[in-house]
Amino acid sequence: MTSPGAAQLFDELDKKLMVYLRDGRTLIGYLRSVDQFANLVLHRTIERIHVGKRYGDIDRGVFVIRGENVVLLGEIDEVKEENTPLEQVSIEEILEAQRIEQERRQEQEQLRARFMKERGLQYTAEIGPDDMY
Amino acid sequence: MLPLSLLKTAQNHPMLVELKNGETYNGNLVSCDNWMNINLKDVICTSRDGDKFWRMPECYIRGSTIKYLRLPDEVIDLVKEEVIARGRGRGESRGRGGPGRGRGVPGRGGFGGRGRGGPPGRGGGHMGPGRGGMKKKQ
Repeated sequence: MTSPGAAQLFDELDKKLMVYLRDGRTLIGYLRSVDQFANLVLHRTIERIHVGKRYGDIDRGVFVIRGENVVLLGEIDEVKEENTPLEQVSIEEILEAQRIEQERRQEQEQLRARFMKERGLQYTAEIGPDDMY
Repeated sequence: MLPLSLLKTAQNHPMLVELKNGETYNGNLVSCDNWMNINLKDVICTSRDGDKFWRMPECYIRGSTIKYLRLPDEVIDLVKEEVIARGRGRGESRGRGGPGRGRGVPGRGGFGGRGRGGPPGRGGGHMGPGRGGMKKKQ
């Protein structure tokens, strides 16, 4: 694990990180602790919901994340954070936008399923909302 | 401090557990083990879509089904105090915290070392008994 040039989670301690989970959630928080399974402890965490060019933040506090649920994580560049082309909106607005987006996606899936069924083919969604990987 | 140790410290505190299937369990932590299996009491279980609720006096959750746990902020402060107390108890001193020796050196495991910007303790603050004893810099 400690070969030269290898990235270590220990190096990310106390940094502001973005963590992306398998269920599609984006969490941003300060990494306080790690272990051999890459279980994480995030402090002062916010959940950021993105819909199109808009995003909204929800305060979440302390997270203990089980390592297997993490897809990737990366250090947040504070300077770039200030200059995003994305627009921050209120929590209510983004939750509403997310709900509409999910409905649209469900409709598409239903259309797809019906399309396949009409042609005598089986369609089962390979990825679900719980685990997109 | 390691994530599972943080969990052990959080015993008797309220917490929210989300499982991989999206169900959430709100309750007080009774116990936990090395596999993250946990025992909660006074639990309210909420279904994935938030439309169904169950109440139960206690429940056991297998660690492998957990996605994440959300803890109250006060647990972090509790951990910092415990790390300081542990450092003081072992009597370790690395000559670094010269003036702060009496207070203990809270620069390990990433907790409490924020202001200093010092290197995080490898292995999450468990320095092991092998090192023990005071290192006196003459």
